Amino acid sequence: MSEALLEIRGLTVGFDVPGGRLPAVAGIDLTLGKGEILALVGESGSGKSALSMSLVGLNRGPRTHIGGEVLFGGRDLVGAGEKELREVRGKDIAVVFQDALAALNPTQRVGDQVAEMIRTHRRISKRNASKRAEELLGEVGIANPGQAARAYPHQLSGGMRQRVMIAIGLANDPAVLIADEPTTALDVTIQAQVLRLLKRLQRDHGTTIVLITHDLGVVAEVADRVAVMYAGRIIEQGTRDEVLFDPQHPYTMGLLSSVPRVDGPAVSRLPAIAGSPLTGVARPDGCAFAPRCTFVHEACQKQTPPLQRRYAGEAHLDACVLDEAGRARARGALEEVAQ
Amino acid sequence: MKTAILHKAGTPWLIAKRLAAVPLVLLGLSTMVFIAMRLLPGSPATSLAAGGASGNSSAAEITENAEKINAALGLDKSLPEQYFSFLGDLLTLDLGTSFYGGNSITALLGEALPATIELTVAAMLIAVLIGMLTGIVAALRKDTWIDTTTRAIGTVSFSLPWFALGVLSIVIFGVWLRWLPVIGRLPNELDYQPFTNFVLLDAIFQDRPELILPWLEHLLLPAVTLALSMAGFITRIVRASVLEVLGDDFVRTARMKGLSGGTILRRHVLRNSSLPIVTVLGLQFGSLLGGSVITETVFSYPGVGNLLINGILQRDYPIVQGAALAIALLFTLVNVVVDLLYLALDPRLRKA
Repeated sequence: MSEALLEIRGLTVGFDVPGGRLPAVAGIDLTLGKGEILALVGESGSGKSALSMSLVGLNRGPRTHIGGEVLFGGRDLVGAGEKELREVRGKDIAVVFQDALAALNPTQRVGDQVAEMIRTHRRISKRNASKRAEELLGEVGIANPGQAARAYPHQLSGGMRQRVMIAIGLANDPAVLIADEPTTALDVTIQAQVLRLLKRLQRDHGTTIVLITHDLGVVAEVADRVAVMYAGRIIEQGTRDEVLFDPQHPYTMGLLSSVPRVDGPAVSRLPAIAGSPLTGVARPDGCAFAPRCTFVHEACQKQTPPLQRRYAGEAHLDACVLDEAGRARARGALEEVAQ
Repeated sequence: MKTAILHKAGTPWLIAKRLAAVPLVLLGLSTMVFIAMRLLPGSPATSLAAGGASGNSSAAEITENAEKINAALGLDKSLPEQYFSFLGDLLTLDLGTSFYGGNSITALLGEALPATIELTVAAMLIAVLIGMLTGIVAALRKDTWIDTTTRAIGTVSFSLPWFALGVLSIVIFGVWLRWLPVIGRLPNELDYQPFTNFVLLDAIFQDRPELILPWLEHLLLPAVTLALSMAGFITRIVRASVLEVLGDDFVRTARMKGLSGGTILRRHVLRNSSLPIVTVLGLQFGSLLGGSVITETVFSYPGVGNLLINGILQRDYPIVQGAALAIALLFTLVNVVVDLLYLALDPRLRKA
């Protein structure tokens, strides 16, 4: 991993819900390197969005409790006031949201929405901001940027809207771009185009990208590093190849074996991980995945296993108490199921 | 880029369609009023005959006089004949003359309609101002005591009937405190030579700024009376629609851009939450006109509502028909404006 750009220390996010406080993020340490694409993988409700939104306080509110530290550019963004945070938002850290149709203002021309992002952080005339907005729309691969800039979101196709969203994210050349499931609402060919676009941006601008996704195909295509989340914690973390080809945690193994393979035998039914993730307020001691894990034993229920290097490569961390032999058995068993 | 073609071509067509419906609405309405008036018990002739005979005449005399009057007013003809002559006159914009004074209805409406427009527009402005402000504050302070109090006051003012509010404000501000005049539109002693019959416009055209203050003083109580219940309603609608938009994804996008709360409210929230508000304003304008009939009567304000009530009491068919038509025209035009506002506010509706 290259030079550290943003450091997350002991981050917790809790939402007040009827019946208690939901621990969406239950203590996460994570460092973002300069210019890397980090994929945050996990099921819905695993806390990946809560984690990324709390980096710039977008989920702040009377019912949200954010703890820990997010160190960026010499300040702690968790402790920062709203006014201080406003300077970071959109300028240093920007977000590309999923479902661009909902994330764009339906009553504003898209060119103006891009220009607004520029004008919020730079002293620039309206006319120049509009010109720059058109350039950005061209840069993200919109064929006729002048015309698109004057269009309203509903007049554009889904792929073009997502490109507009990315243009907004890029407008101030941020150090970190959080892309929250940017390809979920798109069909496969457009998905590939958008992913290539993100990859190009990382290369040309050196932008650090946090890519939130539940699609392992997306991860394989663009990610440099992967962090797998489960029930508010990272349970495995490493380079893309380490995590995809040498998974350490039974949950990661399960995720991988549930992906259909072009080169594998045809199966009538894909293997799935039994049970469902913890969604309630109560979190029993021990590994959160234990209730669903085929290889569960006593040690799993004693305490939550910390994320650390265990049996794999130097930067390949996991949070599973299985020993080497146990992991090999688990891998073998899952491969059998897949066949 | 096919999808990015702007749909501006549809807009004039939409407007034309909307305007084309106006005469149809008015035709339907005038027919209904025509029939309704003639279904009412009592007739203009008997009212006139009984009134003219100063209470001493016998039943036979009244009947005899009534027949003469009927013939004079053309009410002895068959209903279809009366209806078609009414429609024929309407086509030439002739609304007929009052059965009583013989005044031309167009002239009467020319005086009364501007007064009613002044009253309803003033009420609308007050209601929108109060309703928007309180609604926005309530939404931004959701679930605090400010929110609860605002909503409680809104509900109470929404439930107050106009006549009660009118009488109450007359008693308090006119009789007890003596702060404001409670009758009419301008003081009698003021020499006002109407030109447009809109006092504000006349004050400007005739260079008579001294008209404005007494006019506002007379307008204030009836307008506030009319506005309060509507304001309570607007508060609730504004609060609900602002809250809804605040939860929308594009508001989060605006926050992500680093915009301040005020800018987000002005630039992103208000415009998007104005759609349901504008709809409600158009519909509420109808009940505002209904309320103006009552309010004008309570405050002896010389508007169309006052004209209408007197016309009904005296069975003065042409006045009632003319006044109803005027009110309907006002309502329809306001709703055409609402539809146009809709198109201006939401580009998604501009597709034909």
